[in-house]
Amino acid sequence: MNRPSPRTVRRLIGLAVLVLWEAVPRLGILPELFVPPLTKTLVVLWSDRLIYLSGLMVTLYEVAFAMLIACGAGIALGAVVGGVAVVRNLMLPVVSSLYAIPIVILYPIFTAWFGIGSESKIAFAGVYGFFPVMLSTAAGIRTIDEQYLLAARSMGATLPQLIARVIIPAAIPTVLAGLRLGGALTIIGVVVSEMLTSASGIGYLVTINRTILDSPRVFAAIIVVLLLSIMFDVAVRAIERRTLAWQNAGRRVASTEDVRAARLPAPATA
Amino acid sequence: MSRTATTLIRLAMLIVFLGAWEVLPRAGIVNPMLLPPLSQVLAVLGDILARSDFREAMAVTAAEVVVAFVIAVPIGGALGVLLAENAYLGAIFRPMLFYVFSIPKSIFLPMFILAFGIGFGQKVAYATFSTVFIVIMSAGAAVESVKAEYILVAQSYGASRGQILRRIYVPSMMPILLEAVRISMIFNFTGVMIAEMYASRTGVGHMIANWGENFMLPQLFAGVIVLALAAMAFNELIRSLEARCSRWRS
Repeated sequence: MNRPSPRTVRRLIGLAVLVLWEAVPRLGILPELFVPPLTKTLVVLWSDRLIYLSGLMVTLYEVAFAMLIACGAGIALGAVVGGVAVVRNLMLPVVSSLYAIPIVILYPIFTAWFGIGSESKIAFAGVYGFFPVMLSTAAGIRTIDEQYLLAARSMGATLPQLIARVIIPAAIPTVLAGLRLGGALTIIGVVVSEMLTSASGIGYLVTINRTILDSPRVFAAIIVVLLLSIMFDVAVRAIERRTLAWQNAGRRVASTEDVRAARLPAPATA
Repeated sequence: MSRTATTLIRLAMLIVFLGAWEVLPRAGIVNPMLLPPLSQVLAVLGDILARSDFREAMAVTAAEVVVAFVIAVPIGGALGVLLAENAYLGAIFRPMLFYVFSIPKSIFLPMFILAFGIGFGQKVAYATFSTVFIVIMSAGAAVESVKAEYILVAQSYGASRGQILRRIYVPSMMPILLEAVRISMIFNFTGVMIAEMYASRTGVGHMIANWGENFMLPQLFAGVIVLALAAMAFNELIRSLEARCSRWRS
């Protein structure tokens, strides 16, 4: 028997989920309070589209600033920690220990400091994304082939030349990986913090509708969040395709340890 | 740099951090309402550790963490091995697994609340859900880390299945399995914390969320210290085991 291709099976599973989403509540297998039918959810999403759109705008605004913190600081410090042996030996174990702390417990501190507006979400999601981006950048930087630096230096390259012609091109794949990770994590961080304590944003729409037991509106907000992560993923893939030529630029044959660390799945704990 | 120098510098950084926490609010450089001095936080920490409601909350949280972990790890481990050993199933579900990592799992909390209420069962169910995917991923990685050559050599020398399992799979996978346990616990603990902070009547997560809303910052900081130390202690324990196991591997 010929087995259908994995892609076909995945599509069938997706289709089955959508059909069940409609059929199970309609047939009364689960109450509509638990799972409102898909069509009902979509109708609510469309009729309330302005509310969801303005919530999404708030979320995107917070994600943009949080990404700036997580990716900016994470990539810069990760490059220093990964690239400079002294700093690496000193800091890497400390950072990995701190990484064990569930960052979400800091969120009450941020709301006390910055209020329940966008600032606390930006601070939380920024910190939430920072550690993984930094660790991934530190690991990625170590896969750069030192032979390139040696060759450039022995041909008399100055430090600015070294940075512009060797280090930056060789670091591009690592930076891209950091952006991808940071983006996915800050979206998660913002949505989580909006769900916990806030007055706007897409996470807030999940929570406020949950407390009044308006299930279709909860699920509509969930759909928006899912679409947001899918859209981010698609955008990142498009960027990665365009930069394919750089993907393996300047890699040395890395030890399995480095490769494993660099390919760590986005550790989204929330 | 020698080991002692590294240790001394780390110690110095810790002292500077703790010193700044004490001095900056006392000197009025930072508002002590927002950052209570360390000594005040530690005094409050002593008080709350002696309080029976805090101890009860800790016991509830610990029980939730342990039960969710005990459920999530075997299930995730079995599914992970299945996906790693069966190429067809792996090809179907791997990409789905990667997608799951990029969505906030907390958006499904409302469903868990509807299905399980806001008690113990809901915390355990949500934490299991938020842990199981990383366990699947890590278990798969552990299986794949076993070198096929080793198995081939062992087989050609006539090793039995039991011997191959004991002498090759277990020692090869041990460090990565421990790593999986370590990472899974971070996810698990975060899951319990989010669920408690989101909707709960008990647990340490619920308490710190309340302290934050009522602007009781010394209590809040004390609670955060307890949780952070607990998380780091477990992490270091597993890391030291990992370091011990890596020695057999090489």
